[in-house]
Amino acid sequence: MATLSRDKPINIAIIAMGGQGGGVLSKWILNLADSQGYIAQYTSVPGVAQRTGATIYYIELFPAHLAEQAGKKPILALTPVPGDVDIVIASEMIEAGRALMRGFVDGNTSFIASNHRDYAIFEKQEMGDGRRPVDEINSLAQETAREFICFNMDAAARSVGSVISSVLFGALAGSGALPFKRADFEATIAASKKAVQANLKGFELGFETATEEQVTNNSPVEKPEPAQTYATTVAKLMVRMECEFPPHAHFYIREGLKKLVDFENTDYATLYLDRLAQIYKTDKQTGGSGKKWRLTTESARYLALAMAYDDVMRVADLKTRSDRFDRFRNEVKAEPDQIVHVSEFMHPRLEEIAEILPIRLGQFMLSSKAVRKISGLFFNKGRRISTTKLGGFVLLYAMGRMSWLRGYSLRLLRENQRIESWLVAIEDAAQRDYALAIEIAGLQRLIKGYGDTHARGLHRYSVIMNVYDKIKDGADAAEAIARLKAAALKDEEGVAFAEALYTIVGDGTQPSTNLHV
Amino acid sequence: MAERSFAKEVQSLKLGDGAEFKGEGILAVTKALLQSGVSYVGGYQGAPISHLMDVLADAEEILTELDIHFEASASEAAAAAMLAASVNYPLRGAVTWKSTVGTNVASDALASVSSSGVMGGALVIVGEDYGEGSSIMQERTHAFAMKSQMWLLDPRPNLTSITEMVEKGFELSEASSTPVMLELRIRACHVHGSFKAKDNVRPGFKLRDAMENPVRDYDRVVLPPSNFVHEKEKVEQRWPAAIDFIRENKLNEFFGGHTASHGIIVQGGLYNTLMRALAILGLADHYGETDIPIYCLNVTYPLLNGEVAGFCVDKKAVLVVEEGQPEYLEQAICTILRREDISTKVHGKDMLPLAGEYTGQVVCDGVGKFLQTHAPELVETATVIGSSLPEDSQKTLFETVPNRPSGFCTGCPERPVFTAMKLVQRQLGNIHVSCDIGCHLFSILPPFNIGNTTMGYGLGWSGASAFNTETSQRTISIMGDGGFWHNGLTSGVGNAVFNKNDNILVIVDNGYSAATGGQDILSSRAENSSKSTKNPISKAIAGLGIRWQRTVITYDIGAMMRTLTEAMTTPEKGPKVIIAESECMLNRERREKPIRNQRITEGKRIVRARFGVDSDTCTGDHACIRLSGCPSLTIKDNPDPLREDPVAYVNNDCVGCGVCGEVSHAAVLCPSFYRADLVYNPTVWDRFTNRFRGLVIGFLQRRADKRRAKFSFGDL
Repeated sequence: MATLSRDKPINIAIIAMGGQGGGVLSKWILNLADSQGYIAQYTSVPGVAQRTGATIYYIELFPAHLAEQAGKKPILALTPVPGDVDIVIASEMIEAGRALMRGFVDGNTSFIASNHRDYAIFEKQEMGDGRRPVDEINSLAQETAREFICFNMDAAARSVGSVISSVLFGALAGSGALPFKRADFEATIAASKKAVQANLKGFELGFETATEEQVTNNSPVEKPEPAQTYATTVAKLMVRMECEFPPHAHFYIREGLKKLVDFENTDYATLYLDRLAQIYKTDKQTGGSGKKWRLTTESARYLALAMAYDDVMRVADLKTRSDRFDRFRNEVKAEPDQIVHVSEFMHPRLEEIAEILPIRLGQFMLSSKAVRKISGLFFNKGRRISTTKLGGFVLLYAMGRMSWLRGYSLRLLRENQRIESWLVAIEDAAQRDYALAIEIAGLQRLIKGYGDTHARGLHRYSVIMNVYDKIKDGADAAEAIARLKAAALKDEEGVAFAEALYTIVGDGTQPSTNLHV
Repeated sequence: MAERSFAKEVQSLKLGDGAEFKGEGILAVTKALLQSGVSYVGGYQGAPISHLMDVLADAEEILTELDIHFEASASEAAAAAMLAASVNYPLRGAVTWKSTVGTNVASDALASVSSSGVMGGALVIVGEDYGEGSSIMQERTHAFAMKSQMWLLDPRPNLTSITEMVEKGFELSEASSTPVMLELRIRACHVHGSFKAKDNVRPGFKLRDAMENPVRDYDRVVLPPSNFVHEKEKVEQRWPAAIDFIRENKLNEFFGGHTASHGIIVQGGLYNTLMRALAILGLADHYGETDIPIYCLNVTYPLLNGEVAGFCVDKKAVLVVEEGQPEYLEQAICTILRREDISTKVHGKDMLPLAGEYTGQVVCDGVGKFLQTHAPELVETATVIGSSLPEDSQKTLFETVPNRPSGFCTGCPERPVFTAMKLVQRQLGNIHVSCDIGCHLFSILPPFNIGNTTMGYGLGWSGASAFNTETSQRTISIMGDGGFWHNGLTSGVGNAVFNKNDNILVIVDNGYSAATGGQDILSSRAENSSKSTKNPISKAIAGLGIRWQRTVITYDIGAMMRTLTEAMTTPEKGPKVIIAESECMLNRERREKPIRNQRITEGKRIVRARFGVDSDTCTGDHACIRLSGCPSLTIKDNPDPLREDPVAYVNNDCVGCGVCGEVSHAAVLCPSFYRADLVYNPTVWDRFTNRFRGLVIGFLQRRADKRRAKFSFGDL
């Protein structure tokens, strides 16, 4: 019988996306181990797999002195085996989930992960919110790993002008999972001779955060509500909100009022409260008090969005505001005194111009072939307008000041018609089924964007409203509307929507893969 | 210039006898070639052996010093044909490529050189692109070795074994007059480790000697009657010679105990995985000590009947650990045992999966099953491995964790081509699109979902050649510049001209063989001291007889849409080629970024562009993302508490390529995109105009702020 030695390697798997610095981190670990008398083996899969896809870097470290004593060379593996990984490092939260899913993390594993999100294309491309929840990953990691060090290492790295690999390396040092001293880690970074100062700062941040008292549940701290000071011009609106509406709805109503006063004026905001009061009345009749006034609350939200639609004046106004200038400087990481020129990609079409004009004129422009032909010369291509230069700024600024035109515009007429019939439908639905009314209110979510996007959303909205008329007496109408809404937000081509329509209405319309349903 | 430079690492190729070599597997293979006295090396790049080509290119100086010729071959077929130099002369040569795709391309020449037989050692180093991280169809190189009768080496994946096997491979090739293939799996190619180096050897007989004193031997040419003689030679002389060499040099290894009634036969390349599995099961230690007898096949073709029979004869059962299918080794072992009338039970694909990569987990499970059947006393206490997560947690994870397929890089010039195509499809209806090999194949993935088939490198247009009939909807084929020069010039363009094809080819010309790591090709715009570049594709296809051709800058989506529409709708008959041109952003940024930073520190005026999305006007529909897919175009929480859907957001990785802006113009999306030009080291005029503008704009903004403040709701 052979006597088996108990010497074993330290196995490290790094789960990352290609180009995210997993290679740099691996090299550091390799060099560090090498300098500390370890036999180190490292493998990865470069090439196409690394073009932004998920990939695994794998390292095994074996104490050289043990191998010398044994007089033999260790046999090191090239891929991680579930249940046999000592340290797992994930460079992003979904990748942490992937590490768990592949079984690399168990009760003996030190698990280091950054909890920031780098959204996958499947999450980004949805028309609604396709983001996957990561709370489950967080709690599973806590339950499974020997220790779980998790914080936003991406933000930490950015805060010191470094890259995530330095923070991960720091967190690895801080975890104490490797038998090396902090100074040895730092010496490895210094020896690499690339961006040493920034990387050392990132390392320090990683180390310090990892060794701090573990804050595992970083639930948002309850902010004390500061005293509200509103201007006398809006006092009437606010007082009316406080007196007439239940506190549950106050947050959205206040945001709605803010938006609508900003969008048009206080009269328009008063109209909002009038309309909402009607809904609240229905809410009271249909037992809303026992349901936290959800109908009023949800309607407060969606009605504000419906009334503050995005027209040319609105966009022009938003584009020229001072806080917007601060924001883009911040977003592009401009230095304090740096000159930044900004140009906007605008593509106004005849429709957008006509709809802000007085009703008759707008209708004429849209119906006249001659106008369409002539305007084609102006609206056939996108324009770049520089808001940081005088010509562009003044143009947009002036357009932004023309919101008084709205009261006479074709667009407002159309929006009012749609909103009124929508509100009637909500009230009608509430009489049948409270949940159904909430679904109808939520359909506003489909109407967003500009141009074709807006037209498509509006079209799907109308289709669902038609379906509503057919099925409103059914017991599962609320569920059907919810399904249709989710399907309408699923894909642009309308495949999911057509399928959902087919199963719910079943009127013989076969699901179609036609591009524009 | 390749994506990765090995300029520093290649210095270790000069290491002499006894020095410790540390580095990547691929670099170690190069060192072993130099130690073996090769006269010529060549190949075609492709993962996982791209780095081998890059190392050779970066080591050109060292190679020249040693009188070695390095050829960046036009294709694997060209590389394989180069082995012809070893047929008549005692010249050692090595070629390399990605397998099995490269071996497919090379197989014509490989069959010929195998028939002729070689005088000098001929080594084919194949990167077996199988399993995780692979980008190709899953097949085995083993089949090629068998059909052409080339010997196949599959060494244990540590640098010492790999480099030894390179040297032995040449000797085996010469001893048996047969070309030899050395198979390296993906991770073995990139494994970092160490081995004891030897001195480099300068070839005794040089290329020049052969050219100045040519030798002709009719018997070596593949033509009747020699070809019939070759077939006899193969089985009567070369095969037995190889068997003797392998046995005498102990190329296969025996490990573990000698007494057990069961044993394991393993491919050399899987030895480490097997040993890890045994260690996890508590049956081996990490130095490879075990009681279980192991027969490690560093040569997987041919098998040695005597060794196989000897290993099996005293055992009740053996397990064959053999990756990929069909199970050639298992079949051969069964044949050997049947002929020798040995009744040992042979297990393999009955206990291990028929297909797929043999990872640690898979081998652990298979070995566990084998031992439970034939030595249950050993595994009673064996550790159960695998995920300890409960089933519903697994399910949650499965639902939560999205796939993260590869995609176009930030700023990639190929992306706008497919954006334009997606938009054109909206007007003209869906189009049959035949894809090729290269980064552009990512078009088949979300968000583009464009592409029907991919038939091979440079075969994009031939892949649609059947669709050449009277119709109102033409087809579009895609080809990269790499694929064009590899094969597409003749199989694609020449084929279309000759057959009077009426369809469209889009050649994505980014200046490099980009997917394989940014190597230079004929049409690269870069200076290359040892290769001829700057040979434009437009001239080549004009020479072939393409009359309808347009060159479009890929980033100009509007122009691309117009050109595609024209090509789709023009009454003009005949093949139509659109060259979509823009430099690979990965390469460009690698070159330009340091220069830009240098200029900024030097105080020169630099304007850097990048893009952004206004979260105030973005409504969270993500149409821009569905038309772009740029990694730097992502999403974040909507700052408007009333809205639910996340807004688009351009993160700081943006390289300012401008595609987002072009998309929003071309698709009439929304007014949210802006381009920001950041001015570094502004001139006096810059400052003056900026101050003046700031005064006016600031005045107007303050007025607006004041007006809004009158209607303040206070801050929460």
